[in-house]
Amino acid sequence: MKKLIAILLFLTTVLQAQESTVDIKKNEFRVDVLSALTSSKASFSYERFFDGDFSVGFNANFSNSKKLNDDFDNGYRNNLPKYEVNPYVRYALSKSKSRYYFAEIFASANGGDFKEITRLVDGNGVAYYMTKKSKYTDYGLGGSLGYKMYFKERIALEFLVGFGKNLTNTEKSPDVISRVGINLGYRF
Amino acid sequence: MKTLRYFSLLIIALTMSNCDTDDDGFYNNVFADVPNLVAIETQQNYNVGDKLYVKADFSRYLNETGQTEPLDIYKTTGNAPEFVFSYVIEKQISASVWEVFFVDDSQLDIIKGDAQNGSYVYGHCIYNAADETYEYNVGFPLLTEGQYRLSFGYNSTSTTTVELRSQSPATKLILNIDSLVADVDAGGYYNFTVN
Repeated sequence: MKKLIAILLFLTTVLQAQESTVDIKKNEFRVDVLSALTSSKASFSYERFFDGDFSVGFNANFSNSKKLNDDFDNGYRNNLPKYEVNPYVRYALSKSKSRYYFAEIFASANGGDFKEITRLVDGNGVAYYMTKKSKYTDYGLGGSLGYKMYFKERIALEFLVGFGKNLTNTEKSPDVISRVGINLGYRF
Repeated sequence: MKTLRYFSLLIIALTMSNCDTDDDGFYNNVFADVPNLVAIETQQNYNVGDKLYVKADFSRYLNETGQTEPLDIYKTTGNAPEFVFSYVIEKQISASVWEVFFVDDSQLDIIKGDAQNGSYVYGHCIYNAADETYEYNVGFPLLTEGQYRLSFGYNSTSTTTVELRSQSPATKLILNIDSLVADVDAGGYYNFTVN
């Protein structure tokens, strides 16, 4: 993690992103380095830029975190998020096309495992408690803020912090969904 | 200044990425009420040198309050080898002052189960596969004259009940049994005198 921070700090100091032909390229693909390193989450994003300040895209991520799995098994949490698909709309808050802040609203379709304790009775009329596992799916809405910069006109570095709320199945799903990441991307 | 800005964003992102977005809680815990699992072996008079015995001997199949079918606590807990509970024995020092009466573990008379003594007695009701019961029978030596009291509320907020907690294998359900205790007053104390 220290190496990552050092590399990113180095990049930010040496980067002299220039106003250029970045906005001619309309597509971008990104991977979330932060989630991969800290959460064992594979997170991929695509963004399509329009003329002007708007863009749209989607993010898909799949999680298999050992910590979350252990917490789920040990009872520190009763749900285990596995995947999210997050379409979003972004608005650039800065005039520059090569370095700018942005705001986004996103929707989320997410799912994973859920467990609850149930009391059962066996064939001999003896009761016992056990953990019953099932799947959940939920849909949510949220917003994010971020900062993006380009170097070599194609390579994107993006910081993103956002939160949302699940809306339809919060008995089983996490109440809050987060979109936090440090993304590296390629614009083409 | 730019570096500081970027660094701040990075720190925020790192911090937020580790937020637990789920409600905190412990979802492997089960709670049940079953009265009279632990008993104090009371006697009319106590003399120096006597022992105060606390006993538990309960089946793996318990009648849970509010339920019609017996509850298999051994199966529920993933074959927990023991249930633990705690109690305190105090001696009166003055009219309103009580202090924990301490003896070494070696002075405890352990007949069944196991126990350690410190600021409280930590009792282990150990599973006996032969008769499918959890067993505890430990005597606490009464070494000096005086007024004593025993209570079960040291590690809990309960007064007239004792809380037994299963020592379940990792990832298995933990069963917490709240069990009403006889022979204690409304404050949760069994008071006795040693002559």
